[in-house]
Amino acid sequence: MAAQPLLEVRDLGKRFAARAGRDAPAWVIQGLSFSVNDGEFLTIIGPSGSGKTTLLNMIAQIDTASSGTVRFQSQSAPLNDPKSLNPGLSCQIGYVTQEDNLLPWRTTLQNVLFPLRVQGRLNDKTRAHAETLIRAVGLAGFESHFPHELSGGMRKRASLIRTLVYDPPVILMDEPFGALDAQTRAQLQEDLLRLWELGRKTIIFVTHDIAEAIALGDRTLVLSRAPARVAGEHAITIPRPRDIRGIMGHPEFGTLYQSIRAQVQ
Amino acid sequence: MPARKPIESSDAAELRPAPGRSALRSRIDRLLVLVVLLAIWVALSATLGSYWVGSPWGVVTRLGIDLWSSVWHALGFLAGTGWTESPLGLTTRPTNLASGGEILIHASYTLFEAVAGFLIGAIPAAALPFLLRRLPIVTAIIDPFMVGGYGAPKLALAPLFILWFGIGIESKIALVAITVFFIVYFSALAGIRALDAKLVQMAQVAGASERAVARHIVFPGAVPYIFTGFRIAMPYSIGGAVIAELISANRGLGYLIQLGAMNFDTTGVFVALVAVTCIVFVGNWSVDVVERWLLRWRPPADAKAELAS
Repeated sequence: MAAQPLLEVRDLGKRFAARAGRDAPAWVIQGLSFSVNDGEFLTIIGPSGSGKTTLLNMIAQIDTASSGTVRFQSQSAPLNDPKSLNPGLSCQIGYVTQEDNLLPWRTTLQNVLFPLRVQGRLNDKTRAHAETLIRAVGLAGFESHFPHELSGGMRKRASLIRTLVYDPPVILMDEPFGALDAQTRAQLQEDLLRLWELGRKTIIFVTHDIAEAIALGDRTLVLSRAPARVAGEHAITIPRPRDIRGIMGHPEFGTLYQSIRAQVQ
Repeated sequence: MPARKPIESSDAAELRPAPGRSALRSRIDRLLVLVVLLAIWVALSATLGSYWVGSPWGVVTRLGIDLWSSVWHALGFLAGTGWTESPLGLTTRPTNLASGGEILIHASYTLFEAVAGFLIGAIPAAALPFLLRRLPIVTAIIDPFMVGGYGAPKLALAPLFILWFGIGIESKIALVAITVFFIVYFSALAGIRALDAKLVQMAQVAGASERAVARHIVFPGAVPYIFTGFRIAMPYSIGGAVIAELISANRGLGYLIQLGAMNFDTTGVFVALVAVTCIVFVGNWSVDVVERWLLRWRPPADAKAELAS
């Protein structure tokens, strides 16, 4: 373990506001603590409804926390007041959400360039970088298509590189490949690993698919049912570069899969 | 990074309905409906007499003569010769429908009133919800008054506006503006309220300022709603202008209708009505063209209907 983790989640808790005439709501997440090192690919796995999206929303500061802190580079910000939230922590935390959230009124290229444009960083160099990424994920030729003219897989790629294009040190991913067919999903996983190995960003990748968690991550956290806390932690030592399609044949895979499955309840 | 061949190109960019056959078919069907309507008109005119219902032929002849004399006057004006009176001279002459050449001038008054009133009413109405977006309390405070303004019969204000602004075009513009304002305001408000919070969050995480969010997400998202408002308000703007003219005016198509009725000139009334309808058609078409261009990012309507079903 490195001396200082890049991102540290400590005693994080969340419960949503009570509605009139109902009992006080239960905690969705309670006492959740973990840390992520610089350049680490952390996968988080948990049953549906275990607050995975809520967790990422709190780290990205688009949602408040009911208790606990998230420290980034040893700096912690207050998370309990919606007014003091700083979404994306000044462009240091990128977030690939479950839905692609492409702007329907912008073309593929405009969507990919969107973060650069609003950050005022659109120049020849960043534009060239964006075009490289577009080619790398096979979207060349679709730059001037609108999102409704793209397939689900293509929209996903566009939303993925829209976050990669401005190079945030930490990237959160919320089941980005959840709604895709197996073939497209494997393709995108390969793309993601290839891009990651070029830059070695810090990634927190949430999924409900055990095989995906093992195939992509350096380390996997297993969350319990609500209220979510860490139910298990597994270092994944399968060497990189990994062969996504052949990963199931790796000797380590079976034992990891079994022990994770036992914890995902 | 190795460039990969683009995959899935087959399932992108499909779904545009082929225009050929079905468009022709619907055009033929429309023509048939037009023929049936004309037949009913001819039959009514023949049975009741052209005193009650102007005959289509009479209307077309009158309109034709009228337009022809307008062209004639315009040519004379352009040539700068003394063949005929200039069109500007016409407006000062006592109006008489039978003399011809004046329908365009009256139509242009009505059109001007409608367009000016539309712009004066619609632009602030579309802008106001954006200005109030960050002030939900103010929006809530003015809401009942806006609902009242929306519900009040604006046409009943016409006599009041004539009292205030006189019988010139100002009173008509005012009536059109207030009619259009409330329709567009509520459409634009609906557009702001339908805002997708996830897109806003995405933009904020990507570093968008409040202004960038307004420009790149709130505004384009509200445009379809604003255009729905424009589309509804457009016929009202022409209707408002005509009705204000009916009540009191000395020019405009509403005035022609009133004049025709007072002179028992049914054909004249019909001519003016046809002209009003043509203006509404052109107005609708203009909104269509602008909307299609601004909303070219939307899936074609047919594909959307298929997805919805």
